[in-house]
Amino acid sequence: MEIGKPTDKGLISAFSLSDFYASESLRIQQSFDATGDGLAVLRGRSELVDTAVASLYRHYFSSQLDQPGKFCMLALGGYGRRELFPHSDIDLLFLTESGAEQGSQRMAIAALLRELWDLRLRVGHSVHTLAECGRLYRENLEFNVALLDCRYLAGDPELFNRLHDDVYPHLVSRDHQDLIRNLAEITRARHRKYDDTIFHLEPNLKDGPGGLRDYHVCRWLARISAIAKRKVWSPPEELWPAAWRAEVGPAWEFLCATRCFLHYFRERDDNQLSYECQDEACARGIGCRRGADPDCGGTSLSPPSPEDWMRAYFRRVRSICQLTLRLLDDYTPAGTGLYGLFQNWRSRLSNADFSVLREKVYFRQPAALAQDPALVLRLFEIVARHGLEVSREAERALAEALAHGVTSRLESGVVWSHFRQILCFPAAANALREMNRLGVLRALFPEFQAIDSLVIRDFFHRYTVDEHSFMTIQNLHALSHRKLRDRPHPDTAPEWEDRLAEILEELEQPELLHLALLFHDVGKGMETTDHVEGSRQAVEAIMTRLELAPPDRATVRFLIVNHLEMSTTLQRRDIFEPDTVRAFAEKVETTERLKMLSLLTYADIKSVNPEALTPWKTELLWRLYASTANHLARSADDERLTLARASASAAERILPLLTPSMSREKIERFLEGFPRRYLAAHSPEEIALHHELAERLASVPAQVHLKAQGSLHELTVITQDRPFLFASITGTLAAWGMSIVKADAFANAAGLVLDTFRFGDLYRTLELNPSEAERLKSDLVDVLDGRMELAKLLSGRLHAAQGRKPKVPILTKLRFDDSSSSHSTLLELITQDRPGLLYQVSSVLAELDCNIEIALIDTEGEKAIDVFYLTAQGRKLLPELQAAIEQAMFAKL
Amino acid sequence: MKKIEAIIQPSRFDAVKDALHEIGVEGMTVLEVRGHGRQKGHTEFYRGNEYKVDLLPKIKIEMVVPDALAEQAVQAILRAAKTGKIGDGKVFLTHVDDAIRIRNDERGDAAL
Repeated sequence: MEIGKPTDKGLISAFSLSDFYASESLRIQQSFDATGDGLAVLRGRSELVDTAVASLYRHYFSSQLDQPGKFCMLALGGYGRRELFPHSDIDLLFLTESGAEQGSQRMAIAALLRELWDLRLRVGHSVHTLAECGRLYRENLEFNVALLDCRYLAGDPELFNRLHDDVYPHLVSRDHQDLIRNLAEITRARHRKYDDTIFHLEPNLKDGPGGLRDYHVCRWLARISAIAKRKVWSPPEELWPAAWRAEVGPAWEFLCATRCFLHYFRERDDNQLSYECQDEACARGIGCRRGADPDCGGTSLSPPSPEDWMRAYFRRVRSICQLTLRLLDDYTPAGTGLYGLFQNWRSRLSNADFSVLREKVYFRQPAALAQDPALVLRLFEIVARHGLEVSREAERALAEALAHGVTSRLESGVVWSHFRQILCFPAAANALREMNRLGVLRALFPEFQAIDSLVIRDFFHRYTVDEHSFMTIQNLHALSHRKLRDRPHPDTAPEWEDRLAEILEELEQPELLHLALLFHDVGKGMETTDHVEGSRQAVEAIMTRLELAPPDRATVRFLIVNHLEMSTTLQRRDIFEPDTVRAFAEKVETTERLKMLSLLTYADIKSVNPEALTPWKTELLWRLYASTANHLARSADDERLTLARASASAAERILPLLTPSMSREKIERFLEGFPRRYLAAHSPEEIALHHELAERLASVPAQVHLKAQGSLHELTVITQDRPFLFASITGTLAAWGMSIVKADAFANAAGLVLDTFRFGDLYRTLELNPSEAERLKSDLVDVLDGRMELAKLLSGRLHAAQGRKPKVPILTKLRFDDSSSSHSTLLELITQDRPGLLYQVSSVLAELDCNIEIALIDTEGEKAIDVFYLTAQGRKLLPELQAAIEQAMFAKL
Repeated sequence: MKKIEAIIQPSRFDAVKDALHEIGVEGMTVLEVRGHGRQKGHTEFYRGNEYKVDLLPKIKIEMVVPDALAEQAVQAILRAAKTGKIGDGKVFLTHVDDAIRIRNDERGDAAL
């Protein structure tokens, strides 16, 4: 606040004032057209209005000028700051000593305001006493904050000085915490309105995050703090950290020039940077230095495109947004209240590498970055895991390390082992945004640079391509936080999103889905007409660098290549038509891929704009998922491999992986009669291994292969079909305390059975005693050969498991389906998962002489979801047998 | 002037929209709706749970066209929306007294 000296050029008649104002306004506009200097417009217009207001004051208040100590006129808001944009409002405060506003004063105020309105200025005004200005208005703190920018215009300077030097500083030092807290709340609410992101395709440059309003918030915060502590009115920018001033100053100038342009271009107070305005601003080089400006994109030979210009805009706005968030954190009162306690409690997240203080992460030893480049990734792991922020100090250390090529010293395998964690932690999206802002993402994945702040204009998308990609990951994590138990009543039908949340929890490798989401649109920034193909090429290079295993690469590739497939099917095909479902199932091939593609489609549509994914669309998405999942489970044996069909081409892919002694005829014979699903469920490498195991059956009649896979183990058993085979294997695993999570059982035309089990090692037997793996395998072979009695092996274990109470009770449901398969009866069983369950179920089936053609076993938390394709004497099950199974099953379970 | 309301299969929406554009119908209101006609829906199972599919997702389009265009528009919708199967939807036609463009008070066909 300062005492202004309006350049009063003497009393101007109302008529000539209007001419004077119009001609001066035109001159300022012409000067802007010539120079593009936004700050000059702000200054020029403020001086112009000062002149007009001062002369009107002299005219209408002349009779009262000799009554000092009673009355003065102040400018507030943008006008108070001398920052009048071409169509900004003018805020005036008429300050009185006491409430007794005289009739003559009232008339003079009305007349002055009328004159200003006639100049087509939009004027807001209020009349307050000095005492009122010293009061805190909890319901209207905007008025208290507006006084931070008040400036003397005319009237009694003494009255103004009392407000400036005494009354207002007293209010601020007494209530600064309330003022700051309220300012923070209003600012955060405003950011939420814009989805907490700067990356809107048509942003609002005043109210959007990082916009002009944020810049003012930064000034107010610094000013409140300075007045509260020292009762000084120093320029607030000088109170900001020096490093920020250098970044934010040019950003402010850029925004000022752009808003001046917008006001002139639209001829009103319009702050929305529409596509049309972006084109025009870019063509006129608004905010850019005259001549080629590398900051605005383009070169001396080729001028910047609107996309380049918007990138320059986002870069600048980003710095203002960052400063705002930082100052809000720095100045928000902490240490008291629950939030303060929570923040202090979070300091316990500190570890050997990092200390955490007030939600920010600091390197304990920044110098360690030189020897330990993985520290960079661990920093973002802790950020993603706990939703923290990178401290300014850590940012500086990181920038220095990046300049010295720290990321080039990272080994590929190390990058993926950390990056997969970052992707899967709850605050992954924010960590990725920080990695992008600080240049780490670019250093690790130069491919991402193509979509950094990239504007692609269409009718539906609201965000830039990079922000859209981060948003997909954010939305997916938000989905996993939906809990069914949050429903108002347990009987309420779950929302469609709750059902999608369930399948998200079942994913075996969510990191692959997140990786695909991050890069699914990078092709949009490449010079190609087919962005899907562009994204695929980019991700191939990324996966090679990350050294992903071949099956994982195939999954990510599938997701990228097909990322539009499901939404196209939803939009263009009748999803209640069996042919649509069949065609879609053939494309996705496995349930795991179906789950991933459904979730990718959900996240992709939801991140286009907040309204894009209606409950109606979510329902369609879930229905297509459910019908396809059912189709995959119920049609597993309808398409068997024959020499004439897929097995020949599959043999083609597998042959090169086999030892030279294996012939093409042998592999084709091996594949003959397996369901098509077998090919989808296993990679060529796995099939090659199965074939080699099958070749060894002549010497050992049961081949067993065991390998660790993540936290689970995978067991493959290949042998000739025989009664009680499935029950014997599941029984042995139960006896060893293994919990089967997934299982597949297939048979080929020659009666060769191939069973695959994925199980968890509940008692860590195999982990703690690696040699026990051999004993487990030999137990299996002995049980299968009849050398060991299964019942004896099982007795102790099943007894120990009894009496354990389930956390979530699941009702047993059993359903036979004779229509889905042409030659088997399907038994769908949903029940409480428990040790030895599969053994119990499969022994009931074996005792009733049922043959398990195919078994698809899945678990979801404590719920077991089993589908068996059953035959008895080569045919579907008769109704009597179905009844007998049902009875026996309920008796056993 | 006639108001046309059509309930159609979501998968036919693009085709219907294109067909209407071709004959010169430019504006329409589109709603995502659920409902059932004589086709009352059915029950599906997913992982042991029953799901009733009684209210099927449909698209409803609404538009008001000059009398001279009404029959042509109806025919365009019928051609584009027909698959010949149950659930193809329905078209409703009603008389409209007047239309007013809010921006400039234009009335009648000029406001369409």
